Amino acid sequence: MTSETFLAVCLGGVVLGALYALMATGLAVVWTTLGIFNFAHGAFIVLGAYVAWQVGNANADGAGFLAGAGACVVCLFLVGVLFHWLLVKPFERKPNVVLLSVVTTLAGASILEGLTNLVWGPRSKQLDPIAAGDAQWGGLVMSRNELLMIALSVAILAAVGAFLRYSSVGRSMRAVAQNREAAQLLGLDVARLYALAFGLSASLAGIAGLFIGSIRFMTPTMGAEPLMKALIVVIFGGVARFTSPIYAAFVVGAVEAFSSYYVGLYWTPAVLFALMIVVLMIKPEGLFGKHERSV
Amino acid sequence: MSAAPLLELRGLSGGYEPVQVFRDVTLSMEAGASIGLFGPNGHGKTTLLKTVSGLIDPWRGDILFEGVRLNREGARGRRASQNLNYDAFTGRRMDPRRVVRAGLIHVAQGNLLFPELTVRETLDIATLATHGRGDAQALTRTALTLFPRLSERLDQKTRFLSGGERQMLSVSCGLIAAPKLLILDEPTLGLSPKLRHELGEAVRAIKKTGVPLVVVDQDVEFLKSLIDTLYLFDHGRISGRIARADMPSHESLMRMLFGEAAH
Repeated sequence: MTSETFLAVCLGGVVLGALYALMATGLAVVWTTLGIFNFAHGAFIVLGAYVAWQVGNANADGAGFLAGAGACVVCLFLVGVLFHWLLVKPFERKPNVVLLSVVTTLAGASILEGLTNLVWGPRSKQLDPIAAGDAQWGGLVMSRNELLMIALSVAILAAVGAFLRYSSVGRSMRAVAQNREAAQLLGLDVARLYALAFGLSASLAGIAGLFIGSIRFMTPTMGAEPLMKALIVVIFGGVARFTSPIYAAFVVGAVEAFSSYYVGLYWTPAVLFALMIVVLMIKPEGLFGKHERSV
Repeated sequence: MSAAPLLELRGLSGGYEPVQVFRDVTLSMEAGASIGLFGPNGHGKTTLLKTVSGLIDPWRGDILFEGVRLNREGARGRRASQNLNYDAFTGRRMDPRRVVRAGLIHVAQGNLLFPELTVRETLDIATLATHGRGDAQALTRTALTLFPRLSERLDQKTRFLSGGERQMLSVSCGLIAAPKLLILDEPTLGLSPKLRHELGEAVRAIKKTGVPLVVVDQDVEFLKSLIDTLYLFDHGRISGRIARADMPSHESLMRMLFGEAAH
């Protein structure tokens, strides 16, 4: 094998890692804040891709990429808030909220998938790439689209991280995640902050969908695979810190890229799950997790 | 007619469904006075205070603060069916945000606050609770002079603080929220005598700034130095009311509550 192949596989891993980081961070925001697992995350990703397609380039005179992306983020934020209000909030004070919300978000996911199928049909579609053409350094060739995708993912994640750390609303969100009762006693609006966390998570899913739509064909049922990958990443990395699923996403992306090339495409899920099982056995709180925290 | 009492509970009952923890609690606090609650563990003091601050819905009765009712009128909403598990439309009787906005601030028992937030971030969040009642910056400075130890630890995460420092942080948050009435639920729980003394001094200083207190504590001497009226609370109801002048010693209070056999 040549060094060019090796570099190409590496870059492929980084692209996947950036995508997984977006998805997994969205999932982790809801998980750490509300303490529930959102199985509709994959459906959010699909919906994001379709909304961007509808607004951005459904036909020749579509409104373009930026308008598509904007519509995708806003629309998914609203869908996330609606999902929280309809499917999670009614069960918030029940003792078995974790189990109930698994069932309700699964139901929500299949409803959303059905709606996507109903509106846009099962035929596969593709978004125009954000930037056309290839970039080239020396012997290394890479599509501009993928480069831009990596840069945008990193920028978006940095922005979300800064929002959680430095803004008053983001700080309140972290406070509610860590101690709901203490946050209530300080007068924070728990319901609104939960809805905001859900909306933020859905927006991140929408952006991930937008990126997936620009490198792969999209169908209404494509949400299952990203959801599975995001789940692997979150388990793999743990949720102790905002950055833990991000590191884990790049590790999982690299593993996937290398195992697709060297082991075989069809064996990749098996390799990933084997890795996940090993992590669960050796370090159940996640590779970048801390021992004392188990959300 | 005199001014409305600062805090008034009328026939308040509540608990954790389906277990009723306290019943028919009626008490009235005059403006400017401080009260204490004293009673055995596990008899509902904390649950009562959580109900007053809106964390749990009261089952019956009313909570009035400065003459304004904090709970919604009417009996607690019950689900139409035990099978219907969906309560998007079941309104709650209390909203903790409304309680905080009215100026009733509750420092919860053994509150660990936010383990992953730094002291500075936690104090910043407390300033959000001020709602224009006071100057949050000035109050933060006051809190840091009362607890100089906290100002050395501003950039540490709460989970690295000692139990005493966390308690100081909790009380500081209560002070920064510019309370009209401050509820302290066992502020000296699990503290060493030295820290207890230090915290007691700080609480007395807070009282001197004109903030009335509701204090729950197991230490009668500590309560004596702070409050005007002591309520005895056991088996989920108020069983006695003692004015400051004839507040007994710890020993005789124990005898009143448990009888001779307890010793």
